Amino acid sequence: MQNHTMQALSPKELNYIADSITNEELLIKQCAATASITHNPQIQQALNHYVRSHEQHLNTLVNALQQHQSLAPAQVSN
Amino acid sequence: MYSQSPSSNGSFMQEQDLLKSILADLRRTSREYTTATTEASCPMTRRMFTDLTNDTLRLQGELFNLMQQNNMYSVSSKALRQDVDKQIQSAQQAQQKCQQFIQEKNTQNSSYSQAPNVPHHQPNYGNPYYM
Repeated sequence: MQNHTMQALSPKELNYIADSITNEELLIKQCAATASITHNPQIQQALNHYVRSHEQHLNTLVNALQQHQSLAPAQVSN
Repeated sequence: MYSQSPSSNGSFMQEQDLLKSILADLRRTSREYTTATTEASCPMTRRMFTDLTNDTLRLQGELFNLMQQNNMYSVSSKALRQDVDKQIQSAQQAQQKCQQFIQEKNTQNSSYSQAPNVPHHQPNYGNPYYM
């Protein structure tokens, strides 16, 4: 392993990243929908901030997939 | 909840219910990030999941405080003094048992090994100049 901090993803890690992307997507939609109906400015401001935070999380997860893409083997090896 | 105030007419769900749902999802997501962290083998992936766990916990705490401030989250009832006292008592017993257990194991361990008659050797791999 040339790079000690980055290794190919295990199937488990790949599944966790995929599940996390689904979670973040759901949170973005829920926060944006709730922000659009609230009449409380404090809550609206907080929810808009959460939308941005979850968008960042989503970016982080997608970047992690892309960074590990080239390390993934084309075939199952032992 | 079918008897809502007129202000909720026409909306898909009440604001408070939506916020509770977000809070529940933040709780679930932080749990899943914690599990993912403990099961990550790639150091970079572990680092990422650790950061996401911390950030999600922070967001969950912020939303909880905000809902509490706006009286949207009823604080659950308080544990009784007698129940707290009982738990303290059994916790102190557990602490004592642990200390006894550790002492027992330490004595067992030292009965197998003799006290060294030479000064303790300093391993050279632990040299701070190389760390």
